[in-house]
Amino acid sequence: MSAAEDRSENIRLLRDSAAAIIPADYRRIRALRFTDPGFDRAVWQEMCDMGWAAVRVPEAQGGSGLGVAEYCALAEALGRGLVPEPFIGAVTAASVLSGAALAEAISGASVILPAWQERANTIDCAGDTTVSGGRANGRKMFIAQAGGADAFVVSGRDGVALVARDAAGVSLSIERTQDGGSFGTLTLDNAACTPLAGDMAAALEEASLATGAYLLGVMDRVFSMTLDYMRTRQQFGRAIGSFQALQHRAADLKIQVALTRASVEAAAVTLDTSQHPAVRQAAVSRAKARAAEAAMLVTRQCIQLHGGIGYTDEADAGLFLRKAMVLSSLHGGAALHRARYAAVAPDDDE
Amino acid sequence: MTDYNAMDDDAFRLMVRSWVVAHYPEDLRNPPKRLHWRDNKVWYHKLAEKGWLCPGWPAAHGGMGLDAGKQIVFMEECERHGVARTNDHGIIMVGPLLIQYGTEAQRAEFLPKILSGDHVWCQGYSEPNAGSDLASLRTAAVSDGDDWVVNGQKIWTTLANDANWIFLLVRTDPAAKKQEGISFLLVPMDSPGITVRPIVNIDLHDEFCEVFFDAVRVPKRWTVGAVNQGWTMAKNLLGFERIYLGSPKLSGYALSRLKLLAERMGVWDDAAFRDRYTGLSMEMADLKALHATFVDIVRRGLPLGPDVSMLKVIQTELFQKITDAMMDIAGENAGLLEPIEGNRNLHPAGQFIQARPSTIYGGSNEIQRNILARNVLALPA
Ligand SMILES: Cc1cc2nc3c(=O)[nH]c(=O)nc-3n(C[C@H](O)[C@H](O)[C@H](O)COP(=O)(O)OP(=O)(O)OC[C@H]3O[C@@H](n4cnc5c(N)ncnc54)[C@H](O)[C@@H]3O)c2cc1C
Repeated sequence: MSAAEDRSENIRLLRDSAAAIIPADYRRIRALRFTDPGFDRAVWQEMCDMGWAAVRVPEAQGGSGLGVAEYCALAEALGRGLVPEPFIGAVTAASVLSGAALAEAISGASVILPAWQERANTIDCAGDTTVSGGRANGRKMFIAQAGGADAFVVSGRDGVALVARDAAGVSLSIERTQDGGSFGTLTLDNAACTPLAGDMAAALEEASLATGAYLLGVMDRVFSMTLDYMRTRQQFGRAIGSFQALQHRAADLKIQVALTRASVEAAAVTLDTSQHPAVRQAAVSRAKARAAEAAMLVTRQCIQLHGGIGYTDEADAGLFLRKAMVLSSLHGGAALHRARYAAVAPDDDE
Repeated sequence: MTDYNAMDDDAFRLMVRSWVVAHYPEDLRNPPKRLHWRDNKVWYHKLAEKGWLCPGWPAAHGGMGLDAGKQIVFMEECERHGVARTNDHGIIMVGPLLIQYGTEAQRAEFLPKILSGDHVWCQGYSEPNAGSDLASLRTAAVSDGDDWVVNGQKIWTTLANDANWIFLLVRTDPAAKKQEGISFLLVPMDSPGITVRPIVNIDLHDEFCEVFFDAVRVPKRWTVGAVNQGWTMAKNLLGFERIYLGSPKLSGYALSRLKLLAERMGVWDDAAFRDRYTGLSMEMADLKALHATFVDIVRRGLPLGPDVSMLKVIQTELFQKITDAMMDIAGENAGLLEPIEGNRNLHPAGQFIQARPSTIYGGSNEIQRNILARNVLALPA
């Protein structure tokens, strides 16, 4: 086998192992919605046992040492299952951890999540928070599943630091999100912190793409569920999938899913192979913009194609729509990524 | 009694505005979800006392008898103040049905009860296997002396959990062609044999229900129009419903919220956003113009044609485009379960979800397009 064949075989195995721990129905997902912290620590432990939290951590540091393609394959599989455990957050935080903190994070002993964002509609860490001198001050927003974190990796103007959830001066407020999860707002008032080396920029770039991959899983899954429904639901004595208007709609949605897959997979290859910042950013922005828009289109059309049942909480299609509502804008929505693409992408005729 | 139609539009507008502002309960402005009767009945009764409950009904039947232009002004003023929808099936459907097809006795029995709020109605058309293909409905009414005996099930019945009456389409002739064996019945919800089971919708609200009928006895005097002629009447009523669902009201409200959100998110002066917003508000103005031509047909007592389907398509899709724009500018706030900073006017996710079913109910937009293609454009089947 060639190296490339080896790699795609590994990705297939990863997908299979992910599929194996994700139940075929959404009962677990429903039961966790709107609870605190919105995910199951035991399931997270299982995921850590399989090395997922360490997917991007080099083998020398005890990680799995896998590439962005593998990271995205896992994210997509979790998207298919609407899995709420904080996979992308934990992988992002792990990128700047080392030593004991890293070991705890990737073993599942503690949940460490990144706190980098200070306003809506941004993908960079810029802000007013400071972390020098062993004290953190500032305010971080939109921390997904923050209620379940034991510690946060906080970005500041002057570096990155680790802040324990229960340290003095740390307060966390929680807002519920449409998918049944939550966003935390972290306020740091002279909270004790431990400095960390490096920054999260590269990991956040990957997180944007992984969120796109998760959305790919979301849209692909709800689309195939909807095709099944179109094959079985009868009106006017025929399956509704036999109406040409709906067939064309489905064909258009298939095109969007295919474009998203192509874009996400190409961007993963770019991140795994190119060191050129503009090339990397352009690839990620193209993929996330496509994934965000396609996920909203596909999920809302899937509701429409279900008719009245699609507007019930009982139907699973709604779970996918509400997941897309949360993740389409997280790590940058379509407009933000289009703007960045315009700023960094090489000219077409080059 | 005031002849509202003789009033100058601006004077009428100011009169409506000042009364609405003075009387509409402050805490019911712009609710994030459809209100239940327990919450909106206060306003229903205020409108009723004032004689303003039914702007479109003829004055002779207790309505305001407004012409098309005045109805739109009335609607705009309610919208401007964030007035919520009431349990209005009696007003927009049962009233017009009885005025057109009911007997004198039925009008005398039911219209005053709608006007007083004693009867709160819900609409029992759809069934689990008869949605878009409504004519295949199976809930059956069998003749037994002076009564019908009804068995079957309705679904998606909006606010059936509030209603004390339901208007029903039932099959009275199982042997006839499917459109020809259907009748229209008026049924009290407290009849023995009726069970209501609320369904939680995607917005986690108990807004619609399943309604089960187990040997429910309904006096025949509550049949509207001739037996087995229910389909024609229902189709005409759908015309009224479409004109209502095609009213610019919902989109107008959403558009004003889009502007507030754009200001809050700091994109109001962004050129790309402003172009999008302007396009939406121009479409809204065009919809108002088209809507007025249909309202005028109704006022002149002429039948609505199948082209009224256009209104429903334009309005509901405009509403969705506006809420899509909200989601696009809201950033991460687009994922919030509750309004931004507790401000009801800033709730992109809530508005987006509320816009979803409008392209499904009242005849889905796919069905409306089928009607336009076949019945208006006469394209081959
Ligand atoms: C919020 C809400 C409130 C409602 N309130 C009421 C109420 O108060 N009373 C009441 O009686 N009903 C009510 N309904 C029911 C509503 O009228 C039906 O949902 C609607 O008619 C669609 O039927 P269905 O749900 O069975 O979907 P289906 O008919 O199964 O349709 C599924 C999909 O197939 C499409 N489709 C079906 N046939 C065709 C075709 N020939 N060509 C192309 N596409 C087609 C539809 O457009 C839809 O996208 C409500 C529905 C909703 C969502």
